[in-house]
Amino acid sequence: MIDFFIGMFLATLISALFTTRLYRLLFWYSMNSLALAFLALYIGQDINDNPLIISGMVTLIFKAIGIPYFLKKLSLKHQINRSIPPNISVHYAIILIPGILVFTFYLAQPLSQMMSEHANYVAISISSLFLALILMMQHKSIAPKIIGFLTIENSLFLLATTATGGMPMIVELGIFFDLLMAIVIINLLFLKNEETA
Amino acid sequence: MLYLLILPSLLMFLVSFSHARKSKYILSFSTFLILIPIVSLFLMQKPFHLLDDYLIVDKLNSYVLLLVSIVAIGVSLSLLTLYKHVKIQEREYHRFYRFFAIFWVGLIISILANHMGIFWIGLELATLSTVYMIKTNKSKNASAEAWNYMLVGAIGVSLVLFGIILMYASAKPILGEDAMNFSSLLLHAKEIPYPFLFEMGFAISAVGLFVKMGFFPMNLWLTNIERAAFYPVAALFSGMLETSVILGFFRFSDIAKEVNYWHLFGFTMLYSTITIFIVAFLIYRSKDFIRLFALSGIEHMALVAIFWVSGGTFAALLHLGAHAFIKPSLFLATGILESNGKYNFNGALKGYHGVKGKIFLFLVGLFLLAIISLPPSPMFFSEIYGFSAMISFAKGSDYFLLIIVNIIILLLLLSIIFYKFVNVYQMMKYEGKERQKKVYFGEIAALALFALCIVFLMLPSSLKYLRGIV
Repeated sequence: MIDFFIGMFLATLISALFTTRLYRLLFWYSMNSLALAFLALYIGQDINDNPLIISGMVTLIFKAIGIPYFLKKLSLKHQINRSIPPNISVHYAIILIPGILVFTFYLAQPLSQMMSEHANYVAISISSLFLALILMMQHKSIAPKIIGFLTIENSLFLLATTATGGMPMIVELGIFFDLLMAIVIINLLFLKNEETA
Repeated sequence: MLYLLILPSLLMFLVSFSHARKSKYILSFSTFLILIPIVSLFLMQKPFHLLDDYLIVDKLNSYVLLLVSIVAIGVSLSLLTLYKHVKIQEREYHRFYRFFAIFWVGLIISILANHMGIFWIGLELATLSTVYMIKTNKSKNASAEAWNYMLVGAIGVSLVLFGIILMYASAKPILGEDAMNFSSLLLHAKEIPYPFLFEMGFAISAVGLFVKMGFFPMNLWLTNIERAAFYPVAALFSGMLETSVILGFFRFSDIAKEVNYWHLFGFTMLYSTITIFIVAFLIYRSKDFIRLFALSGIEHMALVAIFWVSGGTFAALLHLGAHAFIKPSLFLATGILESNGKYNFNGALKGYHGVKGKIFLFLVGLFLLAIISLPPSPMFFSEIYGFSAMISFAKGSDYFLLIIVNIIILLLLLSIIFYKFVNVYQMMKYEGKERQKKVYFGEIAALALFALCIVFLMLPSSLKYLRGIV
């Protein structure tokens, strides 16, 4: 089951990389967060870790539902262009993405001797971090860059869940608080952009 | 005690919603309240637990907290007369203070943190609040740079978290959730079961922290942001943010030192030398004050990192303190120095009249020469001590020649920077036409405060305190 959720996480991220429309990107981000939330809930229940279950629930409510909904509202309010063609063409992306996946598995190989159980998960977390960075770099407009930034947070959460079995609760909550603060700042920046224009 | 530490920023945050005429004075002078808890912290027996094991006061972080608080006071004094130098609406001015308060709280949390996760949360809070301060300037350039800061800054901070997770994973099998505590990690550093994982985490975190301070390859990223924002933002960056970020590096490197000292030394030395190499040439080509000072800030932070890992902890702390006072003063002075055009070094030190003008002229001249380590600047002494520590370190190592060559390269690069600053000083003083410039109370008060603090830093009792920190 863990493999399934991690696979879904990676698949939704790769789909997001090929997306050319903003709402579809928000949808894939939502699905990505959903896979992450179920993963946290599943592992949390499996190892009987209440903080991880709470983190999973918070992820489900905020990242899978709240943030995509808020960003969609924001894009409607500020009439953000919904066409987001990526700078890296599909042909190159098809070669680049598997390349990154292979590279990160190679990078994480020394870890497999240390972590007998979760080395592959760590490799996937690192690769999703790289893919999120590509998502940020391959778009000129701000909205997909914000999704890229949020996806980096998801990748870090995945790493924390798989490599350490979840971070201490206080850290998880702090990260969520910072994420909410980021959303407030993004909203303010959009408002100020309109004032400047 | 924690409430008292947060009280000034809380007061600032609340007063920023008021639009009463006198509110700007309350906003500015509320910062002085921070001195009460800080003096108490200095008098206390250390380490003192502020909030369980999460927030701890020790000699190192109380010193950094003092530096950061004085910079906050100085910058808030200069903000009193900000509107005389730049176009800013009252609403924006109040909003600036609102985010300044959040920024300050973030830094206090990260400075006092004995927990890697809480350190990160504080840093992220400070990063996010700065974004809006950059945006207070209504130019299109500032708008673009605010987004730029938000995204690249977030990548930097994400790298820090990424490294923290790996370090946590490396020590969790023996320490459990305590693997997040700096003090526990330091105590059990030699027992970490996966040192490779820890070192990988440390390297990634260090790169994240270096990115935040504008090290290679992000040198121009930070300078462009400081150029686009109003000048007090640059002062806050150099005096408060960079000082807090380097404290994180100190904490991480102390643990990495126990795991594998050579790896830590080699990594920091190489990274910092590359940074200074690039920064030296960028400084040589810089044509405006803000970029010049911003790049010089990166150079000084790289030197502090090198001194620290070479065992010159006293030199690093003295250099850090001097930089925390001198650099914000120079940034605050740019409001007046650039009053006749950004890209005009010529005659920038001419045209000052009256008592305030003369004091300004004297202090700016002093700070400009102090930043390039001319005696009796504290930076002169810190560099002497720092390079001596590096030579002592080289003597006891197997790589003597390599380290000595590196020291020579560093000195050559510092001489390029020295030459440029002397040249700029001469252009400011002897070239160009005299144009009248106005100096106001706010800047003079801030500069005088920083000058006084530098004098205090050089007192024997202060130096003794610094020696006793590590």
